[in-house]
Amino acid sequence: MTSAEVYWEVHAFLAYEARLLDEERYPEWLDLFCDDAHYWVPGVENRGRADTEGSYAPSRMAYFDDTLDDLRRRVVRFTAPTAWAEDPATRHLHVVSNIEVEDTDTAGELLVRSVIVNHRGQGDIDSATLYGRREDVLRRTPEGLRIARRLVVLRHAVLPAKNINTFF
Amino acid sequence: MTTGTDPELLSLCGLDDGWLDRRVFWDQAVYELELERIFARCWLFVAHESQLPKPGSFLTTWMGEDNVLVVRRRDGSIGAYLNSCPHRGNRVCTAEAGTARGFVCNYHGWSFGLDGTLNGVHESAAYGREPTFDQARLGLTPVARLDTYKGLVFATFDPDAPPLRDYLGEFTYYLDVMLDNDAGGTEFAGGSIKSVLGCNWKIAAENFAGDALHAGWTHASGAEAMIGRGVAELGADDADSYHVNAHGHCWEFNLDGVGNAATLGDKRIMNYLRENQERVAERLGELRARMVGSISSVNVFPNFSFLPGQNTFRTWQPKGPHRTELHTWVLVNRNAPPEVKDAWRKGAMMTFSPSGVFEMDDGENWELATRSNQGVVTRRQRLYYGLGSDTAIDHPELPGNVHRGQINDANQRAFYRRWSQLLRAATWDDLEKTR
Amino acid sequence: MRSDVTDRGCRTVLCRLADVPPGRMLRVVTEEAGPVLVANVDGTVHVTDDTCTHAEASLSDGDLEGDRVVCPVHWAEFDLASGRPLCFPATRPLTVYPAAVEDGHVVAHLAPSAQEASS
Repeated sequence: MTSAEVYWEVHAFLAYEARLLDEERYPEWLDLFCDDAHYWVPGVENRGRADTEGSYAPSRMAYFDDTLDDLRRRVVRFTAPTAWAEDPATRHLHVVSNIEVEDTDTAGELLVRSVIVNHRGQGDIDSATLYGRREDVLRRTPEGLRIARRLVVLRHAVLPAKNINTFF
Repeated sequence: MTTGTDPELLSLCGLDDGWLDRRVFWDQAVYELELERIFARCWLFVAHESQLPKPGSFLTTWMGEDNVLVVRRRDGSIGAYLNSCPHRGNRVCTAEAGTARGFVCNYHGWSFGLDGTLNGVHESAAYGREPTFDQARLGLTPVARLDTYKGLVFATFDPDAPPLRDYLGEFTYYLDVMLDNDAGGTEFAGGSIKSVLGCNWKIAAENFAGDALHAGWTHASGAEAMIGRGVAELGADDADSYHVNAHGHCWEFNLDGVGNAATLGDKRIMNYLRENQERVAERLGELRARMVGSISSVNVFPNFSFLPGQNTFRTWQPKGPHRTELHTWVLVNRNAPPEVKDAWRKGAMMTFSPSGVFEMDDGENWELATRSNQGVVTRRQRLYYGLGSDTAIDHPELPGNVHRGQINDANQRAFYRRWSQLLRAATWDDLEKTR
Repeated sequence: MRSDVTDRGCRTVLCRLADVPPGRMLRVVTEEAGPVLVANVDGTVHVTDDTCTHAEASLSDGDLEGDRVVCPVHWAEFDLASGRPLCFPATRPLTVYPAAVEDGHVVAHLAPSAQEASS
């Protein structure tokens, strides 16, 4: 258990981060990551309970398996004037809930679990809603909390969407 | 009311002059006929052998709207069966992949072996008293035929389909660019990504069959992200590039060697391709060695596509006339160094996956190109497919129907011509006559 | 397999030990007890009924996993030493016969009294 103060600090950080994504403020969002960050959203397979390989693994295909440089590349596309699918703008909603905060064995690092709901309204009538569980390692830096590691496990084996033109 | 058997539609009045009837993307009756005459007859890609490494390995996939269970049997051979219990029709395998001793239906406990035979039932005494119960005849329904080509597993529901080698025909010359550029053969990197597009499956398939044109426009932002500039112009008069097709299978390409691969933005991949170029040339000849990672795209008729260089392999699974389920994998050479294989896994993810900077801009185009046909008047307006009408050439080396120039609609026309021939032909023999 | 069976009083010689190396199973059809299963678990030989108590499958077609046999039809599992059913769908135990290795042969007591004693 962490103090109410730390919990509140993490909560405020995640809410702020979600608002940056809702408002497509991608360069500011990238500033919330540590230089050595790993951002991983594995592909989820529909496998049996007894299957020792599990529904996702580092060696398998992923939606994101990114370093900070990889994330920057994606942001270049988002912000390019020729990113046709971004105009008209997607109507993003990033919901973060079920937040749990734990100390870790590493000084200055917190393990933060949360649930995300990501809704996107696109064009006239299109929308997509994705659900997932998130596990972050947040690190204390002189600039404040920063994301050192993020794992998002989506609750979908077949993504109910044509793309993921956002971050989680 | 039904247009599915409208001969004018199925011959696509005007395709030879470069026009396509929009009803092919919209009509339910056309779609039903596609399921019968294309997906229940053609050879369809179902797996890469590497996905079934040992006896008991299985995966489930689609052949048209039929769910199919593909299994490595105890004797090492591969089988494929309808994933539906002959008792009440329930799926007998509910996982997408894994390893199993066999498959027991959750409904009444009918148990099937890896070879599809019914091995036993729950409450067997009751069945034992029943003269109509013939256990030997109640196995899972197998596909009509299954065969492989250099690691790729194909199956057909039609016992009268030509052998796979004939179905692919001279297109194997091109397939070898990806499947046989290294002595060790190929494998799929782990896992698969599946997503849903609100488009007709053919819009995606024809894009991979021939649409080099869209790359520079649709994907300008993706190219900016990955290589820091736009896609090179591909349509110069003297461009050394081609549309080739055979039996409806299509490959558009230039000979720049690494243009597609470069979009992955990973030096390890570029170095691997360069280091191997000479060896590949010894294996496949100079020309095909320059196709391994070049700006190109491919569709194996009807719905199996890939991109040399990015190495994304995918099927467009039909889910009604206006919906497609996309399954993707990444192909690598088995003998490539582990870090190169992983670079390709990541590179395909960064470019051509639902989160990829290229694929991100395809879906909306295809969805709206499908949906606009909902309008009855819109649907009456034919679509222009006329580029490259006089580009057919004889080439000393390249087999099949060869067209000069990558900015071309020749392959798309060939795709729809094959499509229309199959829809009109009641039998494979009739198909030969409609050529 | 029938020809391998030789009567020696109330004991039955089922097979040569060499026919069932460690980790392997063998089905032997006997006059006294019908088809029986000979299983070699790391050098210890167990003899049980071969027919699954759930749905008539031959356990010899199944898998030997450690000291358990797994039925090939519905994956019922039995402990080979005791015959105890370990999971769904089996509920009734497997009959276990006292067995020994003598002169390189697997020998079991298949008489009804022996069956009752073991179950």
